[in-house]
Amino acid sequence: MTAAVAAKRQPTFAQRLWGDRWVYLFMLPTVLLVATYTLWPMLASIWFSLLDWSGFEQSGSFIGLGNYAELLHNRLFWNAFANTLIFMVVAVPIRVGLALFLALVLNAGLPFSRAFRTAIFLPVVTTAAILGVVMRFVLDPASGPLNEALLGLHLIDQPINFLGRAGLALYSAIGVWVWKWTGITVIYWTAALQTIPADLYDAARIDGADRWQRFVHVTLPLLTPFTIIITLITVVEATNVFDLMLTLTNGGPFYSSEVIDIFVYRNAFAANVPRLGYASAAALFFGVCVMVLAALQMAIVARMRRRTVEQ
Amino acid sequence: MNNPMDRGAVSRRTVLAGMAAAAAAGTLPGRSLAQDAPTLQWWDHFQPIAPLFEEEWKTDTAVTVKHQVMNPSDMMQSLQLAFRSQQMPDVFSVPAPLAVVDQVAGAGWFGPPEGGFTLDKPFQKEALFEGLTNFGGKVYSFPLFTFRWHSTSLWYDKAKVERAGIDPAKGPQGWDDIRKVAKSATTGGAYGLLLPLQFTDRMQAHLNDLAQMAGAAGPIDWKTGKYDYASEHYVETLKMLLSLQKDGTLHPASSSMDARQGRIRWAAGEAAMFFDGPWNSGVMAGGMKDALAKTWVTPTPITSDNGHVHAGPLPGTFWISAQSKLNKQATELLNLFTTDEFYIKLAERMDQPPLSLDAVAQANVDPTYKAVIASYKDSVRLAPEPVIRNPDIGKVYAEMRTIDPSLGAIIQGAFSGAFDDPGPVLQQYSDQMSAERDRAIGVINSKGGKVSVDDWVFDNWSPDKDFTPDLYKR
Repeated sequence: MTAAVAAKRQPTFAQRLWGDRWVYLFMLPTVLLVATYTLWPMLASIWFSLLDWSGFEQSGSFIGLGNYAELLHNRLFWNAFANTLIFMVVAVPIRVGLALFLALVLNAGLPFSRAFRTAIFLPVVTTAAILGVVMRFVLDPASGPLNEALLGLHLIDQPINFLGRAGLALYSAIGVWVWKWTGITVIYWTAALQTIPADLYDAARIDGADRWQRFVHVTLPLLTPFTIIITLITVVEATNVFDLMLTLTNGGPFYSSEVIDIFVYRNAFAANVPRLGYASAAALFFGVCVMVLAALQMAIVARMRRRTVEQ
Repeated sequence: MNNPMDRGAVSRRTVLAGMAAAAAAGTLPGRSLAQDAPTLQWWDHFQPIAPLFEEEWKTDTAVTVKHQVMNPSDMMQSLQLAFRSQQMPDVFSVPAPLAVVDQVAGAGWFGPPEGGFTLDKPFQKEALFEGLTNFGGKVYSFPLFTFRWHSTSLWYDKAKVERAGIDPAKGPQGWDDIRKVAKSATTGGAYGLLLPLQFTDRMQAHLNDLAQMAGAAGPIDWKTGKYDYASEHYVETLKMLLSLQKDGTLHPASSSMDARQGRIRWAAGEAAMFFDGPWNSGVMAGGMKDALAKTWVTPTPITSDNGHVHAGPLPGTFWISAQSKLNKQATELLNLFTTDEFYIKLAERMDQPPLSLDAVAQANVDPTYKAVIASYKDSVRLAPEPVIRNPDIGKVYAEMRTIDPSLGAIIQGAFSGAFDDPGPVLQQYSDQMSAERDRAIGVINSKGGKVSVDDWVFDNWSPDKDFTPDLYKR
């Protein structure tokens, strides 16, 4: 009898839907926008990656996994893949480490720290594409101010062709990217440092810990959760450098700074006969690789945290 | 006594009479008000000559033209999207190679003109070819420009050339002269030569032109039908260009410059010499008049006994969209571009030379432009185009995939130190092009096409003569 009453009182799906109608109504714009601009393009990319399609016709022809098979044998795809990984492996530790150092310095209450913080943050708010164009002038081997300064200080005898040498262009681009984005990471670290209670430093000081010991035994352990998040964000950002690379090097010279974004763009739009399907396959393949990498990173971090708790 | 307030007021009767008159005027037959004319969409990529087109269209009051000049690289993306969403402009240009023209023709982008074009002069008729301007025997378009030009004349600062001991009226003739001027001009932060190495398509054109001036057959040797990129002339030409870098006379910022940036810095005095096409006169006359006064040009900088630049016949310049509902009006507008007067006006813009080269002689143009165009009669020859002989080759072009690294990228790589010896890389490129052509032929033949590598062989081709339409019939 009681169960029957309870069942009777249990609202149906339609009743629940109607009861929460305002929640769904307010969610509707977001759902529609996400479906239109995120979900649909993702699904469309998966479909396109199975087509041989130049975009000149209304639709392409289905070739199954042909694009993926061709991709695996394309030397320039693996070159772009490797360049993206190099970019990530070199740029992320430099940006995260440099930003931590700057945040510690700025957090130490030095004079003019606010002015320095603003100066470091300024490149963040400039448009990456514009910055790429400007940096080409700054790094110009003929009359660029950087070469002029290095020559003036007698650090070099001949101007350095930062963007024109195949072995140097990628690393020059990494330098520009780190310079542009370090400011935002400094902000993350500054916020993280402010969560550490001052009492802990006082206690450590009473125990006789010097500045380095306080950093290693108090600051670093308490920053670990922030380090994970900041590194993850920076890794993802390091795979999205299209605007800067396009205007700074356009992937050159001779593909030496071509990252996956530029490879995809070149095949989809910059080629005489575009290959939308092939470019979609490259983007998807790399996207899956980044997801696997992120999952691995999370798994390793989780394991490390478990070990720390057990100890 | 009338109210003084009424003196300036309009009576109800006057207002009604005025409205009736206005309504009648609007319905009068033959009255063509601008707002009544249909609007025709026109997209092209000819920025320097856009004002000329717009001036011509003003003479046709039957239609209002909405003209959009686009960046060539963006334009193909816009056209793709427009085609798929049924929003193609009524008239458009296709800033892409012949392979793309054939592909989009096959996809149904083009419509034939209603009433046809007025192309009654012999040189206009000779410029029409199946697969280039005609499809299925119908004329769809016509070239606005002549094939007889190249983009590798050597523009130089007269004073710097004279300082090197070379007659500035003749300019450097050959690599020895070019290196001599370059060495002499490399001083005080200025350099000898500037190359737009970041613009790989332009660098590819420069190497093709210079190698042919030295005696190469061209990208394809029409006697054998084989790709010629690994020939001695190509390898040597690239090595000569690299020798300027080794001499330290190449502007070091060349690696990060395209043609526009390069031209500006060369004109500003940062380098003595710059390779460019005939449009350089027009660009400099527009914004660098002082520099133009100090400039002269060697139209063909590398001379040899049998060196000619070979250029194939051109596809149509403007196409009427198959989706257009204003085909007749579009045809009328395009017919404005077929008159002798228009060719003279086109020449006066000093851009790509018009279909009628004789118009340049009658036009009011800078002497540098006249000198460059006049030289083309001796230095440029019409090359064969296999698609004219076998329309199925258009499908092969469309099937052929881009080979990367391209010739332009290889040139860039040679200058950036990516490899030491360009010879094997050029050989590899040549082999890859041959293999890709073989693959594409196989695909087209498997779909019922009839193509053979022999279609690229023209036994009766002579490098020093134009391959005129009658020669295809042999």
